[in-house]
Amino acid sequence: MRKKDTKGILGIFSHLDHVCDAMEKIKSRDDFAGHAVYSPTSYHELEHAAGYGPSAVRWFTLTGALSGIACGFGLPLFTDWDWPLVVGGKTAGIPSLPVDLVFGFELMVLMGAIATILGMLVMGRLPNPKDKIFDVRTTNDKFAIFVPGANLEGAQAKFLRDCGAEEVNVTT
Amino acid sequence: MSDEVKWDKSISDVNDAILIGIDSPQKSYYFALAASVVCLLIGVVAWALQISYGMGLSGLNSPVYWGVYITNFVFWVGIGHAGTLISAILFLFRAKWRNSINRSAEAMTVFAVITAGLFPLIHVGRIWFAPYWMAPLPNTNNLWVNFRSPLIWDVFAISTYLTVSLLFWYMGLVPDLASIRDRVKGVRRLVYGLMSFGWTGSVRQWHHYEAGYGCRAALATPLVLSVHSIVSWDLAMSIQPGWHTTIFPPYFVAGAILSGCAMVYTLVVPLRWMFKLESYIRPEHLEACLKLTLLTSTIVAYAYGIEFFVAWYSGNPFEWGIFEKRATGPYAFYFWTMVFCNCVFPLLLWSRRVRYHIPTAYAICVLVNIGMWFERYNIIVSGLVEDFIPGSWGHYEPSLTEMAITVGSFGWFFFWFFIFCRFFPLVSMSELKLIMPKPWSSDKLKKIQGANPHA
Repeated sequence: MRKKDTKGILGIFSHLDHVCDAMEKIKSRDDFAGHAVYSPTSYHELEHAAGYGPSAVRWFTLTGALSGIACGFGLPLFTDWDWPLVVGGKTAGIPSLPVDLVFGFELMVLMGAIATILGMLVMGRLPNPKDKIFDVRTTNDKFAIFVPGANLEGAQAKFLRDCGAEEVNVTT
Repeated sequence: MSDEVKWDKSISDVNDAILIGIDSPQKSYYFALAASVVCLLIGVVAWALQISYGMGLSGLNSPVYWGVYITNFVFWVGIGHAGTLISAILFLFRAKWRNSINRSAEAMTVFAVITAGLFPLIHVGRIWFAPYWMAPLPNTNNLWVNFRSPLIWDVFAISTYLTVSLLFWYMGLVPDLASIRDRVKGVRRLVYGLMSFGWTGSVRQWHHYEAGYGCRAALATPLVLSVHSIVSWDLAMSIQPGWHTTIFPPYFVAGAILSGCAMVYTLVVPLRWMFKLESYIRPEHLEACLKLTLLTSTIVAYAYGIEFFVAWYSGNPFEWGIFEKRATGPYAFYFWTMVFCNCVFPLLLWSRRVRYHIPTAYAICVLVNIGMWFERYNIIVSGLVEDFIPGSWGHYEPSLTEMAITVGSFGWFFFWFFIFCRFFPLVSMSELKLIMPKPWSSDKLKKIQGANPHA
């Protein structure tokens, strides 16, 4: 369970462009360390404004998918080796690669999918049921920027108001 | 499609409208739930009797060992396909209309595949041995399962399909569960809080969530095509006339998507009324689903035609004999019902008026569902009833037990679907917000409208 500093201020926004502008400007400030932005849904404008690079989830997917291919081919190949079936007196133990492709494909999808979910959870720091929900409106229709360690009289609160925050509240 | 929708709601209305609908559905919801329970009980009683008295009660006998049970298996697997198509392929194509119905389509997939998974268990008779027979484990003589058999391919395909569908359906629910958590109090808040994993909706979480969604869609896309291809190989890999044909995989996939789209429509139309979602699942969205139904119907019609042509053109008398008998023999009723329901009635959907006339379109979709069940019955039974030993030829009709278990499977499917609707949002709230007008400030809106007066 991740512990984080929950004391600070929370700026509530109604408009997407205001949050994006604030996020762009925050990049050049050094008094917003550890800030977090909350959104009711996954607007790509926010991801661009945050400046995140490609997510590491894709590496989880790739690792899972490659492991799946290895397992999918490995299982039937192992059984060919473990108990060779002699059919019509033909040489035993010759792998049926076209058939094994079915298992390679299915386990690629299966393990790739499981790894993707793991990646989403690990990178999103989930599960974390005790994580602080600063404002319930952020899962409805509002955006929020949380600044740890700040107070209502500080420069950060003024900045958030200037950027279009409708409310700036103290969090405990 | 939904780019053309003129929304009279904003994102602020979404959670309220959808979650209030969950708490107070129309009375008809409870009638529908009760009807599904009755059907389910009929199936449970029939299955209990079959287990008690043995498989003789099912009426399955040489040469038709795959009767209604395998028909139901193929039918229900097929139903699931539209969910994955809508949630994965249409996501990659950025078809916005999917956002209003993808949750119900994904739920339909999960419950349909679970229902399908029951049928091999029902069909083997002694269900208590089934998990051991199906798992890829060596038997008491250390002999491994036959990995060259399409039946074990099927076990892998269906298990993968169910697991992947279930995982991503649930992952899609997490942000919405967090929305419910933030509205309710007491025990419900605790339960929804645990189920939502503590989702906060931070932009970082959304970033990884979106990346995972894309990877998942990329993985699930070939799965849509592969699962019913593998199901079709259960038949096509045999040397049975009527089954041994390379057209089966694409033919089955198109049929699966046709039946799935029709089932999505069949489910969504009454539920949007029961849960008061008409403002969010718009007629434009339903129309798009009907267009997909029409497209796949034409592909299926082409497959029916080319199958007959190849049987005739091959010059193989046994192959042609099976096809001739399908259309004119004792199973002609099933064949022509299939043709009319899947190929002829959907042609009405070329008319825009019909697509927007919900009762007519609904009747067509129900007929497609019936037709697709008859298609699977037609393929399986007419292929088996006259095998390589003329002495064992006969006639097969479903027994009362099989029909009762089929009714029970519909009860089981609808029961779980109705229960789902009562506790979880039928529309993905977070995804619906993405296709609604963005919450821009008035300054930004003026700029957008200045740059593009039609926006």
